[in-house]
Amino acid sequence: MALGSPPVPRPEAPLMEVRGLSVAVQTASGPRPVLEGVSLTVAPRAVLGIIGESGSGKTVLSRALVNWIRPPLAVTAGTVRYGGEDLLALPEARMAALRGREIAYIGANPTSALDPTVPVGHQLVEKLCAVLPGTARRDARARVVATLDAVRIPSPAKRFEEYPFQFSGGMMQRALIVDALVSNPRLLIADNITQPLDVTVAAQILRLLRELQKEFATAVVFISSALGIVSEIADDVIVLDRGRVVEERPTGALLRSPEHAYTRELIAKVPRIWSGAARPPPPADTDVVLDVRDVERTYEVRDRSAIFATRRVRAVRGVSFTVRRGENFAIIGESGCGKSTLSRLLSCLEAPDRGQILFQGTDIATLGGRDLLALRRRFQLLLQDPYNAIAAHSAIGATIAEPLRIHGLVPRRHLRARVAEVMAEVGLAPALYDQLPAGLSAGQRQRVNIARALVLEPEMLILDETLSALDQVEQAKLLDLFERLQTRRGISYVYISHDLAMVRRVSARIAVMYLGRIVELSGNHALFARASHPYTRALLSAVPTVEDKPYPTATYLLEGEPPDPIDIPPGCSFRTRCPFAFGRCATDDPALLATGPDGVGRACHRDADDLPAVVPPAAGQGGGARQAEGAEAP
Amino acid sequence: MAFAFEFFLRRLSQGVVIVVLVAFVIFTLLRVVPGDPIRIILGPMTPASVLEETARALGLRDPILVQFGRFMGEVATGDLGRSFIRGLQGGSAGGSQDVAGYSPESRASVAGLIATALPYSLQLAGLGVAFALLVAFPIGIAAGLRAGRWPDRLGLYASSFFVSLPNIWVAVVLIFLLSAKAGLLPAIGYQGFAYTIIPAMVLAIELSPVMIRAISVAVAANLGEAYYDAGIVRGLSRRTMVARHVLRNAAVPLLNLFGAQMIGMLLGGLFVVEYIFSYPGIGMLTISAVFQRDFPVIQAVAILASGVLVAINMLVDFASTMIDRRLKF
Ligand code: SF4
Repeated sequence: MALGSPPVPRPEAPLMEVRGLSVAVQTASGPRPVLEGVSLTVAPRAVLGIIGESGSGKTVLSRALVNWIRPPLAVTAGTVRYGGEDLLALPEARMAALRGREIAYIGANPTSALDPTVPVGHQLVEKLCAVLPGTARRDARARVVATLDAVRIPSPAKRFEEYPFQFSGGMMQRALIVDALVSNPRLLIADNITQPLDVTVAAQILRLLRELQKEFATAVVFISSALGIVSEIADDVIVLDRGRVVEERPTGALLRSPEHAYTRELIAKVPRIWSGAARPPPPADTDVVLDVRDVERTYEVRDRSAIFATRRVRAVRGVSFTVRRGENFAIIGESGCGKSTLSRLLSCLEAPDRGQILFQGTDIATLGGRDLLALRRRFQLLLQDPYNAIAAHSAIGATIAEPLRIHGLVPRRHLRARVAEVMAEVGLAPALYDQLPAGLSAGQRQRVNIARALVLEPEMLILDETLSALDQVEQAKLLDLFERLQTRRGISYVYISHDLAMVRRVSARIAVMYLGRIVELSGNHALFARASHPYTRALLSAVPTVEDKPYPTATYLLEGEPPDPIDIPPGCSFRTRCPFAFGRCATDDPALLATGPDGVGRACHRDADDLPAVVPPAAGQGGGARQAEGAEAP
Repeated sequence: MAFAFEFFLRRLSQGVVIVVLVAFVIFTLLRVVPGDPIRIILGPMTPASVLEETARALGLRDPILVQFGRFMGEVATGDLGRSFIRGLQGGSAGGSQDVAGYSPESRASVAGLIATALPYSLQLAGLGVAFALLVAFPIGIAAGLRAGRWPDRLGLYASSFFVSLPNIWVAVVLIFLLSAKAGLLPAIGYQGFAYTIIPAMVLAIELSPVMIRAISVAVAANLGEAYYDAGIVRGLSRRTMVARHVLRNAAVPLLNLFGAQMIGMLLGGLFVVEYIFSYPGIGMLTISAVFQRDFPVIQAVAILASGVLVAINMLVDFASTMIDRRLKF
């Protein structure tokens, strides 16, 4: 199909060769290298994985491959040869003729990659007509609808006319894969494409990409920061560390016998869910701190297609659980499962439509004014975003002291001492007291937020994706901090997260949410080792890891996306995607049955023994560390 | 389309409430300010008894709410009342002429006065906005596309220069240069379309700085959006991205600016410019009405202006939600 493209490379000759590529960023104090002497070769029809942590320069590298380096970045040396030409030296017009035609690129932000004001289908048609001039719009439309269908986007003709914001991240990423492959490119650069997606969706996208890659015989450069993901798809892997290639090996060999110290470190850092020894959950008191009883929350949204009509989004449907003093409770689930709404309900930002939330026996919905303020003190919410929560123009000490002043708890002259104490506790240097937050790292900002919550000496912290934006090391440090605080002060934590590895590490009991409801509530070990709800197993089977999973992806991987919380199907809400659904599931909605004395339970008609047997993680590669099962069972 | 129907139904009903409220405030204000309208109608020489009698006959001694109700009833039938001052022929009758008795029929109807003046104002406003767009679009887009480089600076200088010029001074200079010196265009009064051009230029110079800034900022902001770069990497040309996507997205803040700010500036500008050029539009009508305390005209214009504002904002919001579906309505 190549139209006016450069000479086709000979078969088996490398498709792209990068030699000695260096990129620097211009800073006030002179250029600082981002990539140094990177060389790599992409073979036709092969998948090359590039793995690196944030700051390793992998996104810059991916952009350099399509000659998309913009100031303040600049290429300082090296070549990117494609089809006998150096892309970096190509005039813009020739480069433009390659982009989107021979070399396609998909980025990490599917939801912002298209014009938000134009229907998705129209934009795909626009691109198709641009790269294949002479395509009639009607043909282009038919082809786009057909390919949307082929990548399993439900009702493609209707979706064609919908706008980017109406697409979920996973659907958008599918649409962009269609968009990238529609011109049948020779090379696809996929920069962190699964990063913003939920695990089950990411697993679907990976599978789709693999299928299409085979079908179209496209070479793929797959860039990611998650080794577990790269290892699922790549033939060869390049390890990038601070702008340099430190190791390049076939995937299997890299995992089995990493040579470079950094690679070993990287592999060791991949969180283990089944093979690592989870620490025993701290003993919880028996007195219940938080008692959530059958809460519901429904939002009304206006319906554009009917007059004066609203649709009811049922975000949280009949959720009940209890949290005991000093307990680590976790709520997990994918986007749209209602966990953020639940977090807003728990933290009193909204009131439930039905049900009660009792904090130490008081219904928080009935509180107002002074009582509510007093409650907020004991009951703190920490959000994910460490950036927007801190005022940029006030000193760090003042920021931390603010809640104390609002609540008027500490006399003015003791304020500084109290704040300094908390700062020391969370690991912020005392010198930061009078500084502005401008130079703080994400981890330090999160510490400021934590300090702000802790000065009030709360009894419960709700951590809504609080640690998600941080890297592994920072995360681990903060988790240690939380644990210390717990032993010292008996705080209870409610972690709300999509990060299964983190939840595995810290929490004692876990609630799995799907479509506004808890489908399984179980102890940490039981949940991971003997998940008894089909959705939990699907979730666990999709986690990218480098270990063997007890839940094979082939058995459990889900199709499609969760249904719209507006049109919740009757019967079991997971029925539309459940591989084990049977007659009764379509009519009866299974309740969360409490089967144990601890209030554990599952909402499923099928007996747990009816589900496929759990494959115990084989003691295969990786050695004996795997069998932690007996050791950590309560 | 259900959405459009609901939108207009909702917004029209809100709009009517706003206009009625504005009308009430203005109506009340005009009746509590010092100065008895009946004295203005009949002139200073009228005997007190005649004054009282006429006032009662006209209903000017009724409670304000009653008067307002009556007025709104008339407005609903399209009757905006009659001028206190102006005669049927359009000239100022101005008191003293009919000392013997006042017959409202001898005065011009406000609706008629507005209907005569409105087309002139629309023509002036339309031409002014067109001139402003003609200047602002190329400069603004060029400035936005090359943020930080010379077109951007040119745009900034041009708009700061324009913004610092008082419109009265611009008017005088333009009249002097184009009319008095070069004799290219007529300036004062109105005898044909050519009389609109210089006033429209003055109006445009007042409006364009805000437009230039708004356009360049909106365009530059959209160039920084992820979809722009992504589009180019997807294989679309720069030209396509700007023409089909950047301008489309930039239209939303521009429309909002137009609804929120420009309409006010435009109305204000019209008053001043029409007065400077003795241009026979609504502005002129209003200013002379203010000088003559011709309350029916003032209140009718004020109500009309609030109606126009509400209507334009409604259209602007509708256009915005049509362009960007994420916007709530
Ligand atoms: S109730 Fe039926 S559909 Fe629902 S999870 Fe269990 S087996 Fe699947």
